[in-house]
Amino acid sequence: MGNRLTPQDVLNALRAVKDPDLRRDIVSLGFVKDLEVSDSRVSFTIQLTTPACPVRDQLADQARQAVQALGVRNVEVRMTSQVMGGGRGKNELIPNVKNTVAVASGKGGVGKSTVAANLAVALQRAGASVGLMDTDVYGPSVPALMGGSAAPTVVDGKIEPPVEYGIKLISMAYFLPKDEAVIWRGPMLHKTIQQFLGDVRWGELDYLIMDLPPGTGDIQLSLSQTIPLTGAVIVSTPQDLALTVASKAIAMFQKLNVPILGIVENMSYHLCPQCGHREDIFGHGGAREAANKLGFPFLGEIPLDVNVRIQSDSGKPVALDEATTYGKAFQEIAGALAAQISVANFQGGQEISIE
Amino acid sequence: MQRTTDHSHQHDSMPATPKKIKLAAGNDTLSIEWSDGHVSAYPYRYLRDKCPCATCSESGPSPHADPGPFPILGQKPLKPERAELVGRYALQIYWSDGHSAGIYSFTYLRESCPCAECTGKDSGEEAAPQVS
Repeated sequence: MGNRLTPQDVLNALRAVKDPDLRRDIVSLGFVKDLEVSDSRVSFTIQLTTPACPVRDQLADQARQAVQALGVRNVEVRMTSQVMGGGRGKNELIPNVKNTVAVASGKGGVGKSTVAANLAVALQRAGASVGLMDTDVYGPSVPALMGGSAAPTVVDGKIEPPVEYGIKLISMAYFLPKDEAVIWRGPMLHKTIQQFLGDVRWGELDYLIMDLPPGTGDIQLSLSQTIPLTGAVIVSTPQDLALTVASKAIAMFQKLNVPILGIVENMSYHLCPQCGHREDIFGHGGAREAANKLGFPFLGEIPLDVNVRIQSDSGKPVALDEATTYGKAFQEIAGALAAQISVANFQGGQEISIE
Repeated sequence: MQRTTDHSHQHDSMPATPKKIKLAAGNDTLSIEWSDGHVSAYPYRYLRDKCPCATCSESGPSPHADPGPFPILGQKPLKPERAELVGRYALQIYWSDGHSAGIYSFTYLRESCPCAECTGKDSGEEAAPQVS
């Protein structure tokens, strides 16, 4: 009788299970919900901060084992998720978008758009609601990468974004004849960014991924001034030149107080499809080294593979198939990114009040 | 896939950010309570003169705000009518003299804190007797 298991016993046991990214136990984080304890059976829900959680299964196993160690045979662990947003600053333009992530680089041609599109796909496939905004007004490429022929429509004076693979999309390419060019100065770009944010019906989103143009110019500044960005992902190829310029993008975001969520190495290495020989065309591991040196998370690497190019050009992002090397790479990077977003929200989620 | 496990120092280097901004903390003061606990109090005139916008920093703010078409009516007292956050890094102040172009970054605001501790005026010296 005195040995009867109480909910408190179970919670105490579950305190041994720590979220490796947030570095706190799942009980004090408030992840454990709906706890039911009877003589022979314990059931509860673990509510994670993202459906793309990279340690989802690991946490479930650890929690189950922790409770089984109390002598309970029948343990039911349900996994669910509720994406949190940061409380940092007001976000009047897009009040129902929980997290905004800028995908940036120093140099052009490192694969920002490909990475942005595939991260959006991977997050969506993990179960998150996702939007993808192409802020590269001069060289929009998101519609081509995401395929489809849907176009934005106007409903009640607002833009209804087209949806491909479950992701809401907006891009300058939707508003231009194919061979026309945008030849604008800064103020027009600023206006466009504001409209892409405020005049598009994004609805409720867990993550709005923003594909940025290269460099540290008007668009980057407009975006960082118009909304409190959750953070930025820096894409680089491994060679020194790209990394040197990438550090300028990092310096810009730091100046604007935008957290760097991590660095992704694209075109990391090439596996010969004929013989399987691996060639480090641009060197390899440079981005990881840079991330470690600068103290930012390294989110992962994507191989240079002709299929990534072919599928990107045909509007079928490789992240749609997790069975491939590159599809799996994007899935893991999306998980690592989602974890860093949760970390950023826990650490910097403080509202600034003005009175 | 490996990930770096310790990146806590990244956040240590993050500069202090405001927690609470009071536009009217005193009669003519704006105050900022910072994430590290420090409290800064800025007299309006001081802060207006520190406007970092291109026009003000080029020529210095006009010693007196534009008196408008009817100078006989006197000037409206200088005060911030309102303020807005700019992204995550700055504050834009809408002054009662109609000027709002200045984007005061948090770093700049902290550097401009006029308190004795920040300006180093109290370093080891006895405070000069107050002249009243």
